This record gives sequence, structure tokens and C-alpha cells, in this order.
Amino acid sequence: MEQEPRVGVFICSCGTNIGGVVNVPDVTEYAKTIPHVVYAEHNLYTCSEAGLTAIKDSVKKHNLNRVVVASCTPRTHEPLFRAACRETGLNPYLFEMANIREHDSWVHPHEQHKATEKAKDIVRMAVAKATLLEPQTEPEVEVKGASLVIGAGVAGMTAALSMASQGFKVHLIEKEKEPGGMTQRLYKLYPTLADASEVINPLVDAIKTNKNIELLTSTTLKDVTGYIGNFNAIATTPDGNREMNVGTIIVAPGSSNYTPPKGLYEYGVHDHVITQRELDEKLRQGEIGEPERIVMIQCVGARKGEIRPSELEAFPKSDTAELLRRILKARKEEGWPYCSRICCMNAIKNAILVKEKSPATDVVVLFGDLRVYKEYEDFYRKARDLEVRFIRHIEEVPPEVAQMPDGKLQVTAYDALSGMEVKFPAEWVVLSTPLIPSKDEIMLARMLKIPIATDGFMMEAHLKLRPVDTNVDGVFIAGTVSGPKDVSESIISGEAAAARASILMGNKKVTTDAITAIVNEDLYIGCGLCEEICPYGAPKVEEGKSKIREILCRGCGSCAAECPKQAITMRHYRDDQILSQVKALLTPEIREEA
Amino acid sequence: MVEEKFEEDKVSEKEFEPVIIAYCCNWCSYAGADLAGTSRFEYPTNLRIIRVMCTGRMDSTLVLEALRMGADGVLIAGCHPGDCHYQKGNFMMEKRFDYLKKAVKNIGIEPERVRLEWVSASEGGKWAALAREMTEDIKRLGPSPFRLMRDTKKTDAAIDAFKSQRLRWVVGRSQIKVEIEEDKYRQTVDAIMQVEIERHMITGALKNKGPLTAEELAKLTGLQPNKIVQHLIALRKDGAISEAGEKNDQYLYRLA
Repeated sequence: MEQEPRVGVFICSCGTNIGGVVNVPDVTEYAKTIPHVVYAEHNLYTCSEAGLTAIKDSVKKHNLNRVVVASCTPRTHEPLFRAACRETGLNPYLFEMANIREHDSWVHPHEQHKATEKAKDIVRMAVAKATLLEPQTEPEVEVKGASLVIGAGVAGMTAALSMASQGFKVHLIEKEKEPGGMTQRLYKLYPTLADASEVINPLVDAIKTNKNIELLTSTTLKDVTGYIGNFNAIATTPDGNREMNVGTIIVAPGSSNYTPPKGLYEYGVHDHVITQRELDEKLRQGEIGEPERIVMIQCVGARKGEIRPSELEAFPKSDTAELLRRILKARKEEGWPYCSRICCMNAIKNAILVKEKSPATDVVVLFGDLRVYKEYEDFYRKARDLEVRFIRHIEEVPPEVAQMPDGKLQVTAYDALSGMEVKFPAEWVVLSTPLIPSKDEIMLARMLKIPIATDGFMMEAHLKLRPVDTNVDGVFIAGTVSGPKDVSESIISGEAAAARASILMGNKKVTTDAITAIVNEDLYIGCGLCEEICPYGAPKVEEGKSKIREILCRGCGSCAAECPKQAITMRHYRDDQILSQVKALLTPEIREEA
Repeated sequence: MVEEKFEEDKVSEKEFEPVIIAYCCNWCSYAGADLAGTSRFEYPTNLRIIRVMCTGRMDSTLVLEALRMGADGVLIAGCHPGDCHYQKGNFMMEKRFDYLKKAVKNIGIEPERVRLEWVSASEGGKWAALAREMTEDIKRLGPSPFRLMRDTKKTDAAIDAFKSQRLRWVVGRSQIKVEIEEDKYRQTVDAIMQVEIERHMITGALKNKGPLTAEELAKLTGLQPNKIVQHLIALRKDGAISEAGEKNDQYLYRLA
């Protein structure tokens, strides 16, 4: 920037959150002495209406061309302050934040002097970076009013219907011959005990008759290129390849059911040892009859151990999809570390179904922990009223299943309440197994470049705040691909993903982050290393020129760190911008000036 | 007397508060440090966090420069393997780190001053523990040699080496599939790194001290004369240096 930097610094007391530890007036006086700072003030709450007005007024009054706010974490408040800058006509990328709350006052409450000195350092570092900031333009792209939904399960169908009803064209692809997903294979749903078909059939009918929805069954995704607003997807259909041009993508391929390894609790050895899913089917077919006793065992293959660092170290370091493949293989024997959330309710539901059909059957549920919530507590009580027996075993001593000489099964467990070993002869042993990542997810994660978390499920952009967004702009997740969910939760996530996608398609335009890579053509030699390194295919060497397609660039900066000619710089995170902070902290000249 | 000495100790103890630069990735470790704050986990005040989008962004020179400027320690913190927001930036950093650590040792700094750690957004406790541990470790090591002795010749050379096309190319290539055995490749990169640092010590000396003979260069860089001659031949071939007359029956060299 040709203009001399004129930095304004606003230091927040955050009530007493910062001011109770850091001497805010002292830091403010200090800030005034930092080179290029022409104005500094402190506020009770900089993020309040009064604080934001103070920023806006000062920008005008003092002709500021850089703003630094020293307060909390930029991860939550940067957008707010950037918006305030934008309102005054200042480019939002000329704003910098100094985190003196999460990284200072909150972690050093008993070292007030040191915390104050640290706050001065942090402010000085932020000012140093601010002086080197440049205005950035966020690229704007058009968003096609069409969406691709992958997976016609309950989540995918819900999402497709929601978008179609708003007038958007939806391509709904399903790898099976018929839509319906896992829900269609279920018998009854908790807690209403309604037939799953009551939920799924109207949905199937609706998507089949909706003019805005094109349903492609026996179809898998082959390749996806493009970016938010303009994806090109190629699907393999029974009639050959099919190309689709869409603005958004919703990923809803569902999950799998954990199959216990052969021999675990005699599973696969004795044909009366089955999973809850298999029991579901047998109840539908009426194959259970009126046995004397059914024993259910909870958390089979769930909440077992943890994913070991060694598992993570073993896989090729460039491919998270490969990681999942390996995890799936490794966890086959050992089971998965997380709680699958739906199994307790599912077991209770099946116990009730058995009891309603055959009240004389003794149904025993063996559990380490039983987790029911909200109105499901009533459902659990209903099972108790029907005399289903819930017995807690201590987790260190899992139940044992053995085949008796007469061919019957016997379950031995250690009852945590009585501290005694108990034995149950049983006609059926039913294992409650978790939902686990599916193999389809591996392929989709690789194709769409969605990160996978260490539990094997697709990762949300933010676990709490952005639960259906992914890190890939324009791509959303719905249903159990991001973790176990029951039918109603899958519907919620389908509606949510559709809403997120519709915002983009409804606005028809979207701006993307300006933090992208840029090539200096004077230094560029055409080696093509960036092309090979980039996970997103953003750099492209064409006619002896390398170009970063900024709409594809996610701004990680790996290419800049590896470019042999240092020809690639990252907008907003240039080497000199990063090092200016180090320099401000460490260079004695600057320290003495201070 | 005793009391005075005690006061002295106290002062010298007070004197060394390490300055640790912590480069944190935006998505995991910066958020992990935020969570340490939200959870009110206390830790020493010595860390100064610098936010980058991803550890994949961390050019080795950013670490070496921080050391040259006198940082007592540098921490790079990113997402756990498999959790990278950009899929594999942390792995790229990990690969780079092997070479970086060797370079740090090469320039005479304890490798323990530089650490690469994985801290997720949910590991506020781990962040606080890491900050405590690293501060303790560096206090034990004492101030960075660059704080006391301002001779950074070798570090300058290492930074230049990590900016050189040759070293960047071989390190960069290691991020993608190479056709030869990984160990063998690593050895080759190590060798190239060593050579590049030495050559940049020579060019650095020529830049600062003007035309010099091989003997003078050996004295200034501490390298063996035969090594110097080898490098001079290579540098001359590359067109990086040229002859600049004679002195005491020896050729003088200067930067081309």
C-alpha cells in the first residue's frame, strides 16, 4: 500500500474478563507508542454497539487505514469487527486481531504483571502485522440452481424434497436398485413403534413424483470436478455415464452396521446368536416365536478401546481416505471407541416388541451403561413395566456366551449390583452393534476432498457451530455419514443440509475467502510441484504459466511452503507478514523503542 | 553476605524468561489454545502465539528466522494425523520437520528448542500441559545461543539454503511419491542440505567480506580447505562466483 499505515488500536476490557487481570489502560498507553499507531483507546466491551461505533467513528476522525482490536479470539469475533471496518469503507482485510483473552488474561489470572506485559507484546505483534496488510477482494462466483444429492436414504430424500419444493433442480443418486436406504430395511421405529415403511414410503413416493427431482438408481458417483456454485459430477448409471452440472452437493451415503467377528459371543458359530438388525428382520418375519429367554448384550463392538496412535502412524501420509480404509480393517476385530447413540433405544424397542408378542418370554438386557434421554426415558420405563430385565455388568468383565451340550446357549455375566455371577440359559442371544463408517464414504471423501475424523466419520466444518457444512465450500453432509443418528435426527440433518444449500442457490452468488495462493510470474519456472502437492487441484500449469485457480484454493499454504522458487505467496499470510510478528516480538531495536 | 548472594540468585533466576514462538494452525491448535483459555487452564506466560491457516504453510525458513532473531524456542502445533482441515498439511509439515530438525542441530542449536506437536480443538488441557512442559524444558536449556552471541553466520547460511531452489526442490519432492526408497531419498536430501548450508556459508562470507582466497574462506567458515576448494569449483561452475585476481599466490573469489 502506498499510503503510510495509520493504525488504530482498540483494547477491550471484556468487563473484567480481560480488565480484571491485564492493566488495560497501561496497555492502551503503551499502544500509543508503537510505530504507526495514531490512535488507541480502551473499551468496556469493544464488541458492543458502543465499541463498534467507537471503531467506526475513529476510522473517520483519525483517518485510520488499519484497525487492530485486542480482545478475544478471532475465531469467533473477527467477522464482527471486519464487518464494522467494511461499513466505514475500510477493506475488512486491513483488520487484525490480538487475542489477549483466551491466550492471556484467562490463562494467567494470577500473574497480572506478566499478563499485562504479554498483552503489550501481543498488541505490538498485531500492529506489526497490520501495517503490512493489504486489501483483498473476495472472489464472487455464480451458483447454479441445481443440487446433487448422494444417497437416497431418509436424509438424502428429505434434503432432495426440501430443495425441490423451493424450485431447485435435484439429481438424487442411489447405488441400490431402490431408494429408501437403511431405514427401508428396518421393521419398527422407536419410540412410536410405527412401521418404518410408514416413514419411508411417503418419502419414496414423493421423490418419485416430484418433477424437480431426477432419481437415478443403481448409480454411483464416478468423479467430481469444479467448485462451489459450479460442480461437474459424472455418475455411472446402468445406461452409461451421466454428467451433471450443479451448484451444491449434499453427501448422504449413510453408514454401515458393525458385524461382529466370527466367534465373538459365538456369533457366526451358533445361528441363534444374532445382531439387533437381524432380530429386527426376524421379528418382521415372525421367526422368533415364543422362546423362554432372549438375552441382549449392549455395546458389542462399541465403546471399546481407542484408536491407537500406532494405527494412525501406519498409513500413507498423504491420504485420509486410506486412513479410513485401514481403520475399518483394524477395527473389525476390536470394535469402535465411540458410543453409537441409537443402540440402547433400539434394544429397548426390540425388547418391547418381543414382550408384546410373547409376554412369557424373559427378556434380559445386559449393559455396561444404558443411555436414554428426553422422552425416551418413558420408553425405557415402558419396557420395565413389561418386565424386561435390565442388568448392569461391570465393564471390566464382559459377559460370556457358551454353547451347552444340549445345543442351547448360556450367557454368564457379572451382575454389578449384587456382585454375583449370574447365568442365563437362552434361546437367542442378540448383540447390539454400532453404526460404523461405510466403505462408500472412503470413495466419496477422496473424490470430494472432505476430511475424515479419527472416528472414521466425515468431519463437519465445525462440530458445534457448522454441523452440516464441510470444509469444502458448497458441499454439505446429511444423515449418518457424519456419525450415528436415528431416523428423526437424520431427517433434521437432511432438512438442515438442504437449507444450507438453498441459501447459496437462492442467492445465486457467493463470495469465497480471499486467503488464497498467488504466483509471482517473474520467479516462476514451471516445475509443476505445486500441482502435485495441492489436495484441491488449484494450481494449473498451462502454456508455461502457472496459475492458481483461486476459487479452488482453500488457502492452506502448502504450495507456498514447498515452492522451489518461493514463487508462491499466500494472501494475508505472506512470509513477511508472519515474520513481522516475530520481529516485533524479538528484535531489540523495536523493544527499546517500546 | 549470604543474603546478598541470595538476592543475586533471585535476580539471575528472574532474568531468564524464555520467549517461545508458537505457530498454531487456525483450525485445531489455535482453537485448542482458545479452549485452554475458556477452560481457565493456567500455564506460564512465555508463549507468543502466531496464527497460520495450516502447519502445511510453515516454510522451514519461518522457524529458522525466528531462531535467528533470538527465539528461545519454536513450537509448531497442528491438527492430529487424519484431522487436518486441508487433508494433509500436517503430514507435509511432519515430513519437512525431519529436515528442519537436522538443520537446527547443524547450526548449533539444541534440537529440543524446536517442537512439532498435534493439539486438537478439543485438547485445551493438552495445550496447557504442552506450554508448561515446553517452558520448563527451555528454561533448563537456558537462553538461546543467539541471544548472547550474535554470530549468526551459519544460521544465515541455513536460511539461505532453505531458500535455495536445489534444497527446496528435493524437500518438496519428498512430499509426493518418489521412486526410490524413502531412507535412501532422505539420506540424499540430508547430504544436499549439508552441501547447501556450506556453500551458502561461503557465498555469505564473500558477500560480507568481499573477495577472499580459499584459505581465508576456510578460516572464516571453519570448513576444511579441501571442502572449500570442492565447493568453490561447484559454485564457479554454477556461475555463482568468479575469480577476482590473486593474493599470496592464491586466487581470490567474489560473487558473480
